[in-house]
Amino acid sequence: MAEQVFRYRWLVVGILILALGTVPIWGSEYFLLFFLLFCLYAGMAQMWNLLIGYSGLLSLGQQAFIGFSGYTVAMLTTYYGVYVWLSVLIGGFSSVLLAMFMSLFIFRMKGMHFAIGTWIFAEILLLWFSNWKFVKYGTGLFIKPASPPSMTTIYYAAFIAGLGATVVVYLILRSRIGLGLMAMRDNEEVSETMGVNVFWSKFFCFLVSAFMTGITAGILYVFQIFIQPYKAFGIDWTIILTVSVIIGGIGTIEGPILGSLIYILLSQWLAEYAHLSLLFLGLIAITIILVAPKGIMGSLQEKTGFQILSARRR
Amino acid sequence: MEILVQQVLNGILLGGLYAVIAIGMSTMIGIVKLINLAHGDLMILSSYLSLVFMSWLGINPFWSFLAVVPAMFFIGYFVQAFLFNRVLGKEMEPPLLVAFGLSVILQNFLLLVFTPDARSLMTDLAVMTIPLGKSLNLPVLYLVDFLIGVGVILALHVFFKRSYMGRAIRAASDDDQGARLMGVNTKGIYSYAMGISMMTAGVAGILVGMTFTFYPHTGPQYLIIGFGVVIIGGLGSMIGTLIGGFILAEAQLLGAQFVGPGYQLLIGYLVLLIVLAVRPQGIFGKA
Repeated sequence: MAEQVFRYRWLVVGILILALGTVPIWGSEYFLLFFLLFCLYAGMAQMWNLLIGYSGLLSLGQQAFIGFSGYTVAMLTTYYGVYVWLSVLIGGFSSVLLAMFMSLFIFRMKGMHFAIGTWIFAEILLLWFSNWKFVKYGTGLFIKPASPPSMTTIYYAAFIAGLGATVVVYLILRSRIGLGLMAMRDNEEVSETMGVNVFWSKFFCFLVSAFMTGITAGILYVFQIFIQPYKAFGIDWTIILTVSVIIGGIGTIEGPILGSLIYILLSQWLAEYAHLSLLFLGLIAITIILVAPKGIMGSLQEKTGFQILSARRR
Repeated sequence: MEILVQQVLNGILLGGLYAVIAIGMSTMIGIVKLINLAHGDLMILSSYLSLVFMSWLGINPFWSFLAVVPAMFFIGYFVQAFLFNRVLGKEMEPPLLVAFGLSVILQNFLLLVFTPDARSLMTDLAVMTIPLGKSLNLPVLYLVDFLIGVGVILALHVFFKRSYMGRAIRAASDDDQGARLMGVNTKGIYSYAMGISMMTAGVAGILVGMTFTFYPHTGPQYLIIGFGVVIIGGLGSMIGTLIGGFILAEAQLLGAQFVGPGYQLLIGYLVLLIVLAVRPQGIFGKA
């Protein structure tokens, strides 16, 4: 079974991509919304996984990039009338600049200190934006592009971002850097003596993660039309990404995708009880770490060798 | 001028409170090498526990120490025994993620039970002051926070230096394998350490509840304050924790004074970042 799936994996992957890419043609409005969110969350989860699953960087501050890029898009489109997709792109690059600045501080820290350092940065940005008159303090900004894009256009952008994030992770893992990352994950000291440039590999992944998370968040806020500091820089983002990736499987390419799908399903199902859905997610996440620390995809791979997108060379 | 003196005075007193928030985290980082991301939420849980005891029994917050602090010991003991001890190992992510999950659960549980309304632990001390000058006052509640905070830290210092259990905990943390070879149940020791850490969180929770208002979502804010104190003061130094508390509190209050009240927390974080960039091991930490 696993062998057969593996042989036809590109066919399976192709069909899935085709189905997802044509939702505006065959799907209802509800489906369009559902898969729009799915693509965006999967993209962001993929980028969080790139950090923790492959580079050994635990970031609790992804919301720093999400909010910063979202606000960049909001300011550019609303105040300066910049073309909406151009401002999304600029939002991605502004995230990279932020990541570079952050790394001056947080790359001096390791492990747990790094994790909390990223979080503190997000908190600083939250306080900064909620005290900044230009962006109307805590009340938030409306994102009003001169010519608002249609839902279908936004969907295609989200689809490209989600697919793009997955492809980027896949390509990084198949490249020289990816080999180094895996060596690094197994044993950092040894890999460094064997010639892997640990700092640059981690730094590179951090910047890639910032860029793609920024782009994805930009699209999300174009879709949501409204941005507010307490939501945009809130720790809830990291909770959602963490839980999705843990459920799906840390350190697998399919994990974040499956995890985001489960998260979106669960949050739609419990839409009326938002707190309950977070409570459940917390319980599920703890159970999974205790029982099957590799998540759904990781455990499947271990038991059956089932893997659709292998980063390994055969 | 007197306003400035007032802020410096308040900062010192508030620093004692910050130090007691941080001391439990610092203990866990030092002994179990675990950053308990749920520390702030567990602290807020104890504020709510105190609230429950107060309204049940009609007592004032000080009596609730007698119930809340032991209760927090057991909560800590079981959280460590059933959750953290199972995931402690070579990798650092699983314990951190379990703590993160626990934090999410606690916040949403408190939200479900107590609604998002602001609460506080009412006490007469909140309005009392001791006049020191024309417009200089010593707020009694802050003084109580300071005295209890310093008392807890001294007690913990004596406990770790003098008592048998304290020395066993330090032995387990110095050499986990060695201690196990000598027949020490290190996981059991860790559970004790967490229980003690949660007792300090219980004290901190009641003090914070009396001094400020709290919501189900306030936990992370105090987690960051606690972590800031640990970073500034450096790990494994009780004096460092106290000084770290003073520095962070002074930075916040003076920042609010000179830049504006909205920037109080921001200035605190900036000081933290500067310490991190210049001296990552903390002012009193060993390199």
